[in-house]
Amino acid sequence: MANSLAPSPSIGLRSVPLTIWRAIALPLLLLVAWQLWAMGLPADTRAPSPAKVLAGFVRLTLAGDLPLALIQSIGRVVAGFLIALVLGLSLGLAMGRIRWVRDGLEPIVESFRPIAPMAILPIAILFLGTGTPAALSIVAYAAFFPLLLNVMHGVSRVDPKLVLAARTMGVPPLRTFTHVILPAAMPSVLLGSRLAMGSAWTAIIAAELAVGAKAGGGTSGGIGQMMFVFYAYSIDLNGIVVCMIVVGVVALLIDRAFRGAERILVRGREAT
Amino acid sequence: MSAASAREATPKLRFTAVAKEFVAPRTGKRTLAVTDVGLSIEAGEFVCVVGPSGCGKSTIMNLVAGLDAPTSGTITMDGRPIAGPGADRGVMFQDYALYPWLTVSQNIGFGLENGTPGRGLSRAERDARVRHFVELVRLKGAEDKFPHQLSGGMCQRVALARLLANGPDVLLMDEPLGALDAQTRLILQVELLRIWGETAPRAERKTAIFITHDIEEAVFLADRVVVMGTGPGRIRAILPIDLPRPREEGTRADPRFAALTKQVWELIRDDAYQAIG
Repeated sequence: MANSLAPSPSIGLRSVPLTIWRAIALPLLLLVAWQLWAMGLPADTRAPSPAKVLAGFVRLTLAGDLPLALIQSIGRVVAGFLIALVLGLSLGLAMGRIRWVRDGLEPIVESFRPIAPMAILPIAILFLGTGTPAALSIVAYAAFFPLLLNVMHGVSRVDPKLVLAARTMGVPPLRTFTHVILPAAMPSVLLGSRLAMGSAWTAIIAAELAVGAKAGGGTSGGIGQMMFVFYAYSIDLNGIVVCMIVVGVVALLIDRAFRGAERILVRGREAT
Repeated sequence: MSAASAREATPKLRFTAVAKEFVAPRTGKRTLAVTDVGLSIEAGEFVCVVGPSGCGKSTIMNLVAGLDAPTSGTITMDGRPIAGPGADRGVMFQDYALYPWLTVSQNIGFGLENGTPGRGLSRAERDARVRHFVELVRLKGAEDKFPHQLSGGMCQRVALARLLANGPDVLLMDEPLGALDAQTRLILQVELLRIWGETAPRAERKTAIFITHDIEEAVFLADRVVVMGTGPGRIRAILPIDLPRPREEGTRADPRFAALTKQVWELIRDDAYQAIG
């Protein structure tokens, strides 16, 4: 009987909702097909397979190479993001509130914005060399624009009545800024931070790849350079795939962490 | 003349030949929002300003609040010209202007916490004041809710409590009931009068300027109704409302209520028709 109190024997597979089965069916099928295809190849093939990728992941993790590279890359992203946060927040607040600052800076911002972070790379390497400073500057550059633009728009779109209400309550200007304008713009600041962190992470991989390329393994380190080494020297496709997956998972985790922070910090407001 | 009678001779608020002209920032086009406004409001008086859209009702309020300065003429409070915004004139905005990231209590205490009204008060005194006004506007139990969790009527009470918690001399209300449904409006009109201090002696009441486009609301609430007209905004007439206080639901059935309402409507009608084209 369907509504019998006895424990159902079909717990397990059947308790997984149908939608989840639908969602994982195709990826699972592709993985299986990939594995089968790889198993049909000669034994000394360089072609990656799911089993080899998994083995590679375990090997790189245990050897400490992968965690070390990851820490290095994340460290650079955080540092670059913080630089961008300081600049983007202060300039965005100024541009969003003060007309002449905006009028004066907008042309410069708008002319640099379409220039992709990677296009800055040659200049960065020439001026800063192939080490951390070059990678950092690329990351900061990539993270700066989403932050600046979102902070600026968030601040300029603060409901003027909230500011007027504070004035009629005798709230001094600085306090109005910290207690009205800043919290009112908080959703945009957090959105900008999330997008900035996304571009920063994308940029660091590319920057490390490119900086690594120039230095021939050089001093850059990080997961991007690790990929470069697998590609240019050891030709380890399984290693490259491990890195790809790790990069993707980290991006996902960063995004989720920021969304979680948004939910907590923007409490009391409907999701926008 | 004794000091007391001298003070009585000075109205709470006095408008003398007030005009306000706005200049559009891009085109430089000038619009005369209000002109030739002369009005004296006594302490403890409840004055409603009615008129069709575009008659400069909100301009009047912004001028008293000090958020705008008149182009010509003067506005004085207790004989002194109004120089800018101040917590002695509390404003209640049409859409409440509550802070969405703060709870009901924090919104009510915002001025006490961050503005001039809280100066010299201890934390305990501030908290007690917030609790007092939470109870006065019947929001007990909702203190920790956020504005988006409240109904329109409850938001309106929060705004009213915030206004009162700052202890202003003059209450400026810009269509505070405008966004509410008709039934809630009727209930809150009575409640507003209770909170304003209708049953208290006149000396203990606040001076109130209440902007509305609802004629019945104006007649129901006011000691005097200021009827404004358009093109440019100006005062058409000032009607004393001699209905007895406290006013209750029954007041609306009073024949004098109907007569006053009709009188105000006749003053507004032509402008109102023009306003809708």
